[in-house]
Amino acid sequence: MPTEFKLRRVGRIAILTVDNGEDHTKPTTLDLAAFDSLGRALDELEAEPVDGLLLTGKPFVFCAGADIGMFEAAQGPEDALEITRRGHEQLARLRALSFPTVAAINGACLGGGVELALHCDARTIAANVRHFASPECFLGIVPGWGGTQLIPRLVGARTAVQFVVENAMERNRMIEARTAHELGFADRLLEPVEFVDESLAYLRELVADGFAREDADLSDAAEVCRKARARLDGSLFGAAPAPYRALDLIEGAATWSIEEGYRQEEEASAELGRTRQAEASIYAFGLTQFRAKRPLPLEAEPCRIHKVGIVGAGLMATQIATQILRRLEVPIVMRDLSQEIVDRAVAEVGAAQKGRRAGFLASIVQGTTGWEELADCDLVLEAVFEEMSVKHEVLRALEPVVREDCAIATNTSSLSLAGMASVLARPERFVGIHFFNPVAVMPLVELGRAERTGDEALATAAALVRKLRKTAVLVADAPGFVVNRMFARMSSVTGEALDHGTPGEVVDESMLRLGMPMAPSVLVQMVGPKVANHVLHTLHAAYPDRFRLSATLDALAAGEEPAPTGDSPSTWQEVQAAVLEGLADEAARMLGEGVVPEAADIDTCMILGAGWPFWLGGITKFLDQTGVSERVAGRTLGPAAARATA
Amino acid sequence: MREVVFVDGVRTPFGRAGEKGVYWRTRADDMAVKAVRELLRRNPSLPPERIGDVVFAATAQVGDQGLTLGRDVALLAGIPETVPGLALDRMCAGALTAVTVGAGEIATGAADVVLCGGVEHMGRHPMGAEVDFNPRFVSERLIDESAASMGQTAENLHDAFPELTKEDADAFAVRSQRRAAAAWQNGIMRETVVPMAVFTDSGWTVAERDEFLRPETTIDALARLPTPFRPGGRVTAGNSAGLTDGATAGLLASEQAADELGLAKKLRLVSYAFAGVEPHLMGLGPVPATEKALGLAGLSLDEIGLFELNEPFAVQVLTWCRGLGVDPEDERLNPYGGAIACGHPLAATGIRLIAQLAYGMRERGVRYGLTALCIGMGMGACAIWENPDAD
Repeated sequence: MPTEFKLRRVGRIAILTVDNGEDHTKPTTLDLAAFDSLGRALDELEAEPVDGLLLTGKPFVFCAGADIGMFEAAQGPEDALEITRRGHEQLARLRALSFPTVAAINGACLGGGVELALHCDARTIAANVRHFASPECFLGIVPGWGGTQLIPRLVGARTAVQFVVENAMERNRMIEARTAHELGFADRLLEPVEFVDESLAYLRELVADGFAREDADLSDAAEVCRKARARLDGSLFGAAPAPYRALDLIEGAATWSIEEGYRQEEEASAELGRTRQAEASIYAFGLTQFRAKRPLPLEAEPCRIHKVGIVGAGLMATQIATQILRRLEVPIVMRDLSQEIVDRAVAEVGAAQKGRRAGFLASIVQGTTGWEELADCDLVLEAVFEEMSVKHEVLRALEPVVREDCAIATNTSSLSLAGMASVLARPERFVGIHFFNPVAVMPLVELGRAERTGDEALATAAALVRKLRKTAVLVADAPGFVVNRMFARMSSVTGEALDHGTPGEVVDESMLRLGMPMAPSVLVQMVGPKVANHVLHTLHAAYPDRFRLSATLDALAAGEEPAPTGDSPSTWQEVQAAVLEGLADEAARMLGEGVVPEAADIDTCMILGAGWPFWLGGITKFLDQTGVSERVAGRTLGPAAARATA
Repeated sequence: MREVVFVDGVRTPFGRAGEKGVYWRTRADDMAVKAVRELLRRNPSLPPERIGDVVFAATAQVGDQGLTLGRDVALLAGIPETVPGLALDRMCAGALTAVTVGAGEIATGAADVVLCGGVEHMGRHPMGAEVDFNPRFVSERLIDESAASMGQTAENLHDAFPELTKEDADAFAVRSQRRAAAAWQNGIMRETVVPMAVFTDSGWTVAERDEFLRPETTIDALARLPTPFRPGGRVTAGNSAGLTDGATAGLLASEQAADELGLAKKLRLVSYAFAGVEPHLMGLGPVPATEKALGLAGLSLDEIGLFELNEPFAVQVLTWCRGLGVDPEDERLNPYGGAIACGHPLAATGIRLIAQLAYGMRERGVRYGLTALCIGMGMGACAIWENPDAD
């Protein structure tokens, strides 16, 4: 239902509720019609003033900010300007009301919701609010409804920069009610149980006693913003313009009038609205918030999972077992060849459990070197060494022991699922569940479907992933699936550059300047040179022409000093161009082969599995926007031609 | 046995049940929590951990009125988890029974302080909606079928006592509305009613007053209302209490605990009684209950200075007056109006009566007062109270 501002009078007090008529699972957002509705409420309040106004949201939600669809539909800078200006127009009227106004932040308060609240004289916040943030910069835009002007005036430049720029760029970090209160965003931290009643009492206090607030001292704004710019340069290398623009606006707040600030916000919004970063970010937001949460198209019901077997007791196996025990709270059997290794893994899994049931959970993990203990498992996942013969040995020993309806899964990242399943009597039960390291943190799981994989096994695996609170992307049986294949292609190109004498810092710079979260050298160390090289070798075996092996990586994997030839070092620009072309080529091939049906799936994988930034839209959006895919593959990877021009 | 005192009682405003009512989007347990928290706020000298039990009544013990309401409400209200709770049902006398159960715990020394309450969200839980009547009631003629419909039992009272006319009932209803309007006007209701912010389809608002108040009601207007329970009958929406949402909460303490904790001793419980009558004459129940309670107290009706009677139907009050020999216009009877004006959220009403009685007895310096209600399936309840400060 459309968002409305619903005005009710209670004696000499008015209560304005922003509500979309849905329950809390559909948070209230603001679009132009909502501002029209606010305008009508303000008409009434101006015509017939009250003693005080309380502005609040429907139960559990204050306001989740601008309707993202509005930006997606925006056709150009004029639209972005219009969205910003129409907001300013009504919010300025709210701020100018002649009587005290209190925003009662009763639930999620994000982006435009924060700005709405800031146009009131004072704020109360319910102690259970966990989502209070201005995520705009993360989405390639700036808080454009007064946020960049009112936030510094309220809480000072330092907190404003932290809140608007740094929290947002830290993958949209949100703050909780207590922090919001401590930082000065809210004047009263109130218990949730009688929150609206107590907020009304606070409003009545203001009505009785009057209210005045001085703006924060912003004499340090220029210095604070200068330092913040330097910090941004160190992590972003200018790859995304929005946070820089937000700093300009925060700095400007020190000298501009509110009206001047509004105009500046309008200008910035119009400018940023047409950047490729904003378009890509909003696309990426849609992918992770909505598209990735759709149920997978499977025609079977999942089986119950009351006991899980993990074959292998290494690093990945231990992490996976830890997460499954934590989220599913079901008995787990870990199996490996050595009792000592198994014992160590079981102890680690048990010790990693937290909370009141930790002791119980630790007691239901069991280790074994035999197979019989896996007999009554509903799902067994193997995470043993990535070698086909080892996998076959495991599957041959496992299948006769488990029930006929037990799903068997592999955490392989590079071996052929069909090849593995060839030794199984019932290959339809076999499915790939590829986790990413560190398992506790990475939200992606690639769900591998081999030719003979049945929907039931997939549905069971998908249910497992959902219970682990991770996102599953369905991928076909192809070497490296999506993330490792893209990574390997990148390593192949950067490895070649290193082989030919390009300095490591130049290679790192080539990726950091894209705004990648991690320099390639750091990434290789984190994954482990051995693993990284193994993945490259696997892809090389499958596609020797495109995945060239790297002498440098081989040396690193062997623990030796690399000996580059030094014959033709590249500049960072050349390395970057080569990587992007490689990625565009690989993405086009994956789509052609049907590894995933849509470019959006590749992007979802790269954002959630590799932490690639929103403002690249994963990667295919960026490749389309910058013409790389057109040049390399002769077409865009995504459905629509990129609209952005800047 | 220890003496039991009534410390304080408070309620939410009563709302009209159903989609148009102010509480349509509000949970019953949240209403109960509101009443409980206001009660604790009004009695700040009571450390919540000293509450020995939380006894909450609801007729429909399902959904937002299920889950052992006393425990549920206590936890939701922020009362420490060391305080236990229970739920009970005696239909319209739910809250009164919560009080007598709590009084029992105090009298026997099991608890020093008991928090009692009642709630009924009749919009969410229409009376009888979730009831499965045993077919034996009908096939063996254990009860007259009309006993299941409270409105029909009211019509039955007119049949049983033909001298109680529709005109008498309407006149009583008008009086109830006038007295209630005056009580609101004079700020008396503010003594026992706490406003509550509620979310509605048209945004947040505050429930401040009872929704059924009709101060402008006239006998002529009432005369024209339809009689939904029987064609050509006598019971109308105007001379009965509407279907209501509301919650009440009250505090009881042993006399000793009240002194120790500095709690008010507004009333002392003298006696109480429950009685049964033929289910189809449900409204007759308070007559034997009152007689029994008076007998237990060793008091005569003349010694009682104030009566707070529930008014599900005007004819039910008239039946009580007839049975006890009280003039329906007696100033001692429902001086602040009754359920016809404010509504009757079944299990919640008892504590509204006691809280108003406490206010009225202290205002008037009356020594003894009584609260009485009829109860579905043919019962009545009566409790007799003493004002410890009366000379």
